Amino acid sequence: MTLEHLPSAAPSLARLIQELNKLPGIGPKSAQRLAYFIIRLSDEEAQDLAEAINAVKQTIMFCSVCQNLTDVSPCPICANDRRNREQICVVEEPMDVLALERTHCYRGLYHVLHGVLSPLNGVGPDQIKLRELFARLRDGHIREVVIATNPTLEGEATAMYISRHLAGTDVKVTHLARGLPVGGSLEYTDELTLSRAFQGRQEVE
Amino acid sequence: MPPPRTYRAESLVLKSIPLGEADLLVTLFTREAGKVRAVGKGARRPTAKLVGHLEPVTAARLHLSRGRSLDVINQAETLNSFRSLKTNLTAITRGLQVCELVDGFGSEASPNEPLYDLAQATLSAIGRAPEDEFPLLHFQLHLLNVSGLMPELQYCVGCRGNIEPDRHRYSLDGGGIFCPDCLPDQAGLRPLSLRALKVLRLLSRSSPSELPSLHLDAALSQELKSILTGTLQYWLDREIRTNSFLNQLARADRG
Repeated sequence: MTLEHLPSAAPSLARLIQELNKLPGIGPKSAQRLAYFIIRLSDEEAQDLAEAINAVKQTIMFCSVCQNLTDVSPCPICANDRRNREQICVVEEPMDVLALERTHCYRGLYHVLHGVLSPLNGVGPDQIKLRELFARLRDGHIREVVIATNPTLEGEATAMYISRHLAGTDVKVTHLARGLPVGGSLEYTDELTLSRAFQGRQEVE
Repeated sequence: MPPPRTYRAESLVLKSIPLGEADLLVTLFTREAGKVRAVGKGARRPTAKLVGHLEPVTAARLHLSRGRSLDVINQAETLNSFRSLKTNLTAITRGLQVCELVDGFGSEASPNEPLYDLAQATLSAIGRAPEDEFPLLHFQLHLLNVSGLMPELQYCVGCRGNIEPDRHRYSLDGGGIFCPDCLPDQAGLRPLSLRALKVLRLLSRSSPSELPSLHLDAALSQELKSILTGTLQYWLDREIRTNSFLNQLARADRG
């Protein structure tokens, strides 16, 4: 959407609509609704919103170790001496770190790839943070890499690429179990998931 | 009479991208209706009925409702997940290239059953022999055939005369082989060795289930890939995106 498409709007309003329209999932109509909502905010609320956007751009950076988004580098997880420093869990996005931390099951370190290999979209190893991962593994302290990419075809391809790269090294490569989700139904489960669930079956305690 | 509001389609999932909070926008190539773009509502939730059935490189029987711009997937049943293909990184990338090319050459609302069958047979062949490059080369050549763009490999395109060994040239935009007397005055003309020409002729007569068991040396393999990729890219009018990753994997394999 360009400013010319909003001839009746004031230039500052048209600009706000245009900027909001750039956000993912926000179409022209949603951008207009959000802009009119912002106009109705009090001065303090509008100022808070603008300052929050500014602050996040000023302070948020990539952690120099794990590439997660943080306001201090190294991030609190990488700086925490009580974490297991021999394990790295590789995830696609920063949100995945939060999801895994909520489980309280894992006490090692993380590495955020910021994407997955996507040959269909031209995303190769150089476009995600794989080089940084392999550089971390070169110092020899890491014993296990836990791959926690999504169980999609692209997530699997990324896991295979990492595994291929580490073949012949002393680093043990594992990935999260594949199978049935809690609350799922066998009847609707696809054959690939079912066969993997079968392969990963465990003794009932 | 308007078409029925719902329909069933035997489909190959070509690609899927996240849409909104938990939906998937899926590009399908169906046996019955050609290329279709449809929405899988809630398909990204782990407990969704559709999850797993709408992964790229999966053949599924789908029940869909017609929408104004996009159809909606109501039910899905996997017919073939090409499981053995998905255990090898190179095979996955070749499978994705099949999907990319079907997406590029398939048309919406225009069924092409030979292309559908060719893609399915190729994915199965890649799964049977993940390290073999013949299934993809065969697919690339026969894709041109089922799209009505098969290059002439037997006679000179210009004079219909016999081809003279090592003096002929291949023309990307001229539609095949030219003899020295008929060389067109255009770009896209390149040499094609007799060995490569023979392999292309052999591939043109083969089926995906009975591919020749030949050993291709690196130079011949590269020449075949270059000719076929060049021709496909000429007709697509863009680069084949999966190629760069495939080449990267090949370089890593060579060490």
